[in-house]
Amino acid sequence: MGLSVLDELPVAERDGLPEADHRLAPTSMDEAARLLDHASELGAQVLVWGGGTHQGMGYRVGPDIVLSCENLTSIVAYEPDDLTVVVEAGVGISVLEALLAEHDQTALLSEVPGIATVGGAIAAGVSGWRRSRFGPTRDRVLQATLVTGDGRVVTGGGRVVKNVTGYDLPRLATGSFGSLGLVAQVCLKLWPLPSTFRTVMVESPEAALDIAFRPMAILETGDGAWCYLGGTSQEVGEQSTALGEHFVDELEWPEPVSADVVVSIRVPPSELRSVLDGLGAGRPYVAQFGVGETTVGLDIGDIDLLPDLRTEVEDLGGALVVTEAPAELYEEFDPWGTPPQTLEIQQRLIARFDPRRVINPGRLPGRI
Amino acid sequence: MSSALAGELRSILGDDGVLDRQLELHVYGKDSGITRGEPSVVAFPESTEDVVAVVKAAKRHGVSVVARGSGTGLAGGAVPLEPSLILALTRMNEIEVVDVENRSAWVGPGVINLDLSNHTYSDGLHFAPDPSSQSVCTIGGNIANNAGGLHCLSEGNTVNHVLALEVVTADGDVIELGGPAPDPIGLDLRAVMVGSEGTLGIVTRALIKLTPNPTAARTLLMSFRSVEDAAKTVSDVIAAGVIPAALEMMDRLMTVAVERFIDAGFPTDAEAVLLAEVSGHEAAVEAEAEIIRAIADDNNAIEARVASDAKERQRMWLGRKSAFGAIAQMNPDYYLHDTVVPRTKLVEMMRNIYEIAERHQITMLNVFHAGDGNLHPLMSFDASEEGVIERVKAAADELLAICVALGGSLSGEHGIGLEKRDSMGLVFNEYDLDAQARISEAFDPDGSMNPNKVLPSGSRCFDFGRPIPEGTWV
Repeated sequence: MGLSVLDELPVAERDGLPEADHRLAPTSMDEAARLLDHASELGAQVLVWGGGTHQGMGYRVGPDIVLSCENLTSIVAYEPDDLTVVVEAGVGISVLEALLAEHDQTALLSEVPGIATVGGAIAAGVSGWRRSRFGPTRDRVLQATLVTGDGRVVTGGGRVVKNVTGYDLPRLATGSFGSLGLVAQVCLKLWPLPSTFRTVMVESPEAALDIAFRPMAILETGDGAWCYLGGTSQEVGEQSTALGEHFVDELEWPEPVSADVVVSIRVPPSELRSVLDGLGAGRPYVAQFGVGETTVGLDIGDIDLLPDLRTEVEDLGGALVVTEAPAELYEEFDPWGTPPQTLEIQQRLIARFDPRRVINPGRLPGRI
Repeated sequence: MSSALAGELRSILGDDGVLDRQLELHVYGKDSGITRGEPSVVAFPESTEDVVAVVKAAKRHGVSVVARGSGTGLAGGAVPLEPSLILALTRMNEIEVVDVENRSAWVGPGVINLDLSNHTYSDGLHFAPDPSSQSVCTIGGNIANNAGGLHCLSEGNTVNHVLALEVVTADGDVIELGGPAPDPIGLDLRAVMVGSEGTLGIVTRALIKLTPNPTAARTLLMSFRSVEDAAKTVSDVIAAGVIPAALEMMDRLMTVAVERFIDAGFPTDAEAVLLAEVSGHEAAVEAEAEIIRAIADDNNAIEARVASDAKERQRMWLGRKSAFGAIAQMNPDYYLHDTVVPRTKLVEMMRNIYEIAERHQITMLNVFHAGDGNLHPLMSFDASEEGVIERVKAAADELLAICVALGGSLSGEHGIGLEKRDSMGLVFNEYDLDAQARISEAFDPDGSMNPNKVLPSGSRCFDFGRPIPEGTWV
């Protein structure tokens, strides 16, 4: 009798991994498939781990096995002239962006990624601040290869920038938190970096939205507001003059919000100001004007205001989502809020990709 | 059976909401592709409630439901294959509300693509997907096929422009997918509904994302002695960091056909013509147009000029959009292909296209979205000629196979429908197809929504992976 796959796979070495019976780091999709098939047979719960930066999202998972993506770090294919790159899940966003920058290109993932991985950003469905101009991350996931909860390797989409061949599995996988499978490999659509950048300090983000033609981002924090421009030098110069006098000739992004509790509030763009007004002064935030999203930091003693705020935001058709918090908060406050009305279909979908509910079970809204 | 169904439908929709005479049915037996079926009955709902009632009635009668907009689809997606009810959504054509501040609009699926952009023009907004059929195709059809168009090089296909959908499911339930705020929580079912070709449910309302109208635009016409020089120009423009709003190529056969049809001012002695449009801020378009012009010159352009005024610009685009009209004049029949290759493989693909055309003795013209590698080889023929249909089919199959071998895909914007259903195995293995079938099954377990489209039969015949444990609620 051979050894179990649990004994054969490399042990994970990344710092910060949670406690579990097994912490493993498969080196290929096939190894990941064997691991998940085995976990399915055992009925074990598997927590997938990239950089760990988005692990604050969703219901808590008490894992038997942690599957670390630290050994899935290949840049599988990079074709600058096609504006596409294929990478494995564990590739760091900063590593990828550094490579792309050599060719004056970008994947438009997080501008301040820390140790976040490509797979983590896609599984969590998070986007960078430049989505105001270029759309969310999901619009650039051209192909996705998933390792399903029962150990199948399935691919959807294709390595071309325009494609309508079959159901859009790549977009469905974006933000799926592994419920359809480990997002093991993706092909991303890239954009060329403009020749000129400028960050212009503005008085009013709302006024800047009217003045600038489709800027890359308009952000407001407790320290002020900025409009981020990119393009030809003529275009950037003219728009910058119209926006204000204070600027720097690079993109100066704010530090992401750091606090005991961090939430992401999503509303129709026109409602963002009233949400910020309702929060009152003194709390750290980064608000994306034109998008309708703000992250807000709170002290643990402040969380009493969250339920009413969530009600208000949900009434606007939005959501208030916890992105970071101490473990005990998840007992007191629902990290997602009211689940979508389509839970039944979502559940049927998940059952067809992860029938034993092995990967991140119960992580998604509705505890599915 | 179907006459009982027609009676029931009349009680729901009234006499003028149902067609069931043979001649009328025949009209709804096909879309703009080349395959045909025979529907049992055609229903014209006017509201979401109507759609619910019709879907439930069809279910009771064991008849499948095939949704249809204007019927401009080219892949046979709206062709009824078995006893089917055609659900024609053209009467659900209300632009309900335009929210200028949030740049969005709730619309019915029967709204004509261009009507929405015209409606919101004065608000400085438009619906970005612009297929050549935009003056007649419906937004519901655009959603079903994840339609593209000239401008999707910079703006993406329809899926990038849909915020929320109201959908009637196979069971007749009304669900809403997505929402007005960014990043709705849970699985993104909206994204998989777009492009599902009516197989997962019926879209009855859509919240569309609108795009600001560019404040300025420049159109360039460039002509070349070789397809290679034109393709190199396309690559160099992208490499220079310029993503034009549109970047279209026509080969010589095509420009000659267009010039015979209308006077667009295209040079007919050039092997390839490129049309590029840059749009956005006034200062940007001036500089970008100059960059593109200089790149064309570096690549031995015979001519590279910027349209001097709006009139010349419109004439150039009219030429591009008249391509299909020009074809109709050449021969009674045509077959329009839609494939996509990585941009770097354009030249190689074009060589193969010419080789295949010559070998099968078919006139093949090319007009396509060069910027994103989306080819539209267009075969012009007379179907009454003996053996020509077989040659066209053989050539089409070879084109697909080569395209896939070059790393491409089956369709860039027209969809799979019936036309390419049985070619899905070229790009997906049995596990991939099984996964696709599982998606369909989760929405429509009985397979009553536009059955036998998109996926080849047998996709779900395998039993991969572990069975769903007994007692699991699915």
